[in-house]
Amino acid sequence: MNDLTQLDEPVEITQSMREEIRRVSHSTRARRLLISRFMTTLCAISLAIAAVPLVLLLWQLIQRGAPQLTGTFFTKVPSTPTLIAPNATGGLSNAIIGSIALNVYAAILAIPVGVLVGVYLAESASKFASSLRIIAQTMAGAPSILMGLFAFSFVLQDLHVGFSAIAGSFALAVLMLPVIVISTEIAVLNVPNTLREAGLALGAKPHKVSLRIVLPSALTGIVTGSILAISRAIGETAPVLLVIGGGYLNSWQPFNPVSALPLSIYENAKSEWPSQRAQVWGAALLLVAFVFILSLTARIWASRKQKVSN
Amino acid sequence: MSETQATNQHAVIERAPGHSAMQLKDVAVSFNGRVAVRDATFDIAKNRVTSLIGPSGSGKTTLLRALNRLHDLTPGAKVSGQILLEGTDIYRGDVTVTELRTRVGMVFQRPNPFPTMSIYDNVVSGLRFNGIKKKSLLDEAAETSLRSAALWESVESRLKVAASNLSGGEQQRLCIARALAMDPEVLLMDEPTSALDPIATLRIEELMTTLKERVTIVIVTHNMQQAARISDDCAFLLMGEDRAGELIEFDTTEKIFNNPNDPRTLDYTLGRFG
Amino acid sequence: MIEETVSDLAIHGQVVEEFGSSTTSRTWYHYVLLAACVVFAAVSVGFVGSIVQKSWPTWIHHAGTVITGSGWQSPTGPFGGLAMIVGTLETSIIALVLAVLIGLGTAISIVFFLPRSLRNIVATLVELLAAVPSIVYGLWGYLVLAPWMFKTVDPWFNSWPFARTLFGDPSQQYGPSLLLAAIVLGVMILPTFVAISREVIAVVPQDLIEASLSLGATRWQVIRKVVLPTSRIGLFGATFLALARATGETVAVALIAGGVAKVQFHLLDPGTSIASWIATEFGEAQGNEISALMALGVLLMLLSFSLSLVSRWLVSRQRKVLAKV
Repeated sequence: MNDLTQLDEPVEITQSMREEIRRVSHSTRARRLLISRFMTTLCAISLAIAAVPLVLLLWQLIQRGAPQLTGTFFTKVPSTPTLIAPNATGGLSNAIIGSIALNVYAAILAIPVGVLVGVYLAESASKFASSLRIIAQTMAGAPSILMGLFAFSFVLQDLHVGFSAIAGSFALAVLMLPVIVISTEIAVLNVPNTLREAGLALGAKPHKVSLRIVLPSALTGIVTGSILAISRAIGETAPVLLVIGGGYLNSWQPFNPVSALPLSIYENAKSEWPSQRAQVWGAALLLVAFVFILSLTARIWASRKQKVSN
Repeated sequence: MSETQATNQHAVIERAPGHSAMQLKDVAVSFNGRVAVRDATFDIAKNRVTSLIGPSGSGKTTLLRALNRLHDLTPGAKVSGQILLEGTDIYRGDVTVTELRTRVGMVFQRPNPFPTMSIYDNVVSGLRFNGIKKKSLLDEAAETSLRSAALWESVESRLKVAASNLSGGEQQRLCIARALAMDPEVLLMDEPTSALDPIATLRIEELMTTLKERVTIVIVTHNMQQAARISDDCAFLLMGEDRAGELIEFDTTEKIFNNPNDPRTLDYTLGRFG
Repeated sequence: MIEETVSDLAIHGQVVEEFGSSTTSRTWYHYVLLAACVVFAAVSVGFVGSIVQKSWPTWIHHAGTVITGSGWQSPTGPFGGLAMIVGTLETSIIALVLAVLIGLGTAISIVFFLPRSLRNIVATLVELLAAVPSIVYGLWGYLVLAPWMFKTVDPWFNSWPFARTLFGDPSQQYGPSLLLAAIVLGVMILPTFVAISREVIAVVPQDLIEASLSLGATRWQVIRKVVLPTSRIGLFGATFLALARATGETVAVALIAGGVAKVQFHLLDPGTSIASWIATEFGEAQGNEISALMALGVLLMLLSFSLSLVSRWLVSRQRKVLAKV
């Protein structure tokens, strides 16, 4: 670089240039400040506009849902109101039990496979791994109704299993798989390379390094990802809508029809009975509370583990 | 020429009027009530390099950032005292903060060219922010400031290239050029070479020696040798018992390093504490 | 995001070479992982294959009708999917426009204009709202927003001179409508968009903001010329994610759009979308109709995969633009 030779001659800015810069910047200043004020106000207004429906939704959810969460709600199955007993809606125990069953089965199906694939993706640079990654990303964004169609087509039609919890869980598992794969890969990749190198330097075989050193370190991230996948599956209606059958019984057997909270909400929202319409607010609140608690748990655990490792 | 009293902590160099680019009088900066730096009273002379030195925590950067009102960004920050730019109080006087910042530019510790802009766009970004659109003016300003930053020859052929392609030292010189394009009266530099390698550091130090003929420079540095090499005047700050930085001594660099008035200054320049 | 970690993969691939190297022995560890991958690949292939296979009869005999026909006669056919396609596009695009216009300003406000104490709470709240199941949004839209719109907004809307041409016959408007579905969709995807946008805007280095301010830029200039361009990649990602969510949404639209299989340009009239139509019609469907619904599913799949492809391409192109030599 020949820059050193230039230093002998300080370069002067011409007077006319200087004046023009001053002149233009001065004359445009007021307008620019006005535009800034206007646009930033517009942004603030956007925040207000966004807040209204969302805060209102949360508020009404609590306001209308909380009174519905009585003991009956949790312990009794639904009943149909009649003209003489318009408020005899019973509870939604069938949906609660069904939701729990569906998600437990789905987690059992999805988490082991998802985590293993995620680990593989993080540790392999092969073309197969790249393809799987693209598949996972694409499937993660797919509409959930398609998982329901898949479950119907495969479990109900091809395997001749009827409306059942297992069919719904299958759909949910297909939904959860790509999400778990992606979050697991990220968790494993986030383990600092130095840990791997230290293990290898000690002479451990690569797969033992993964098992004994890398995975335990990534465990928090993996668990967090799985929890978040579950919290998403809990609230999904479309995948289960077509294949679980519904019904009023407290059923949880995998091969029997089963109900679910999102399904109950969907079915009862259009009910002609105000009491049933009111009841679904309770189901909705329960769903949101569950999602909320799960997300918060995942978050708190992740940050606490981070503090320990720091 | 310089008047210092042993009991008076504030050394004031008497100057003829019109020779000060900026004047500080009892300047203090506090955050949510907690004082970070105080008792800053000195004059920044035109076309000289004034350095702010002292161990970490002494408030040098805090003081520097008060000079272009960067603390306006921080809620709870309060700047008291008077800071005059050519006689106008920059906080309470008749000057908008955007105008002030076109007259007092800043270069930061880590080179920070705008990542989505080319070299050319980076250099003229200040001009564009201020409404200047005329291509000929922008081109001329770009070349002038890039030459002043000793960068023109190496980037002349690739002005449209992304700025992130330059080395660390070149990026910092790009940032200097960017600040110079606004033709400021004062250039503030916050430890501009601390993130650079020794060769890049040397280049920029040489640059400052020629730049000061064009613009007044105020530099914060934790490297006293650097201060001794390049600055004309020197302000030494130190953290007091109340954890607030205060100005201990202000004088020509020669005096500060060879024969300071305050024993603490001597301790610092002899490296007795960092 | 995944894209950023892919470059790290090159490093990891070298540190842990077991999968590429032929000299190290394969242990049970490798086999277990590979087995899981095979399962995953099989499920994914089956996902596409199964639905395509079940829809095959429709494609062979009625491909044209599915894409261009506008009526849906249950249970015999013809099964025309145009109404669903148009409805999906209308509702998601309007929802996206709403969400981006309001969401961008919201994200900017959260990062730059809220006091520090509020920022974390609001950010958490936004993420929570993004996780709220869509059925809850649908419920709220159906039981709260729709009646309110009908009582309050519709009469006001009808007093506009162009309302009739734009939105249809006022006497027909009693609740379910595409516009309402679009609005509820917009409210639903807003937190998703804001959550991601807020995060990418918040990580723009403070350095850059201070540097631009130090040049005399106004606040808006800093946002527009520095912050937004720097976070461009993430903002695109947020947009596509929000769009993907809107196009795939089933139950909220099913509750609110009215479920009418008619190609609809009067937005205040009822219509339908692909996903919601599948959901509502499937229960009673037999044989041919199931195949037709599966064909709709294939269309939805194509839409979703295309969005995913475009999003990935755009992100990688932006990356290249930033690194241009």
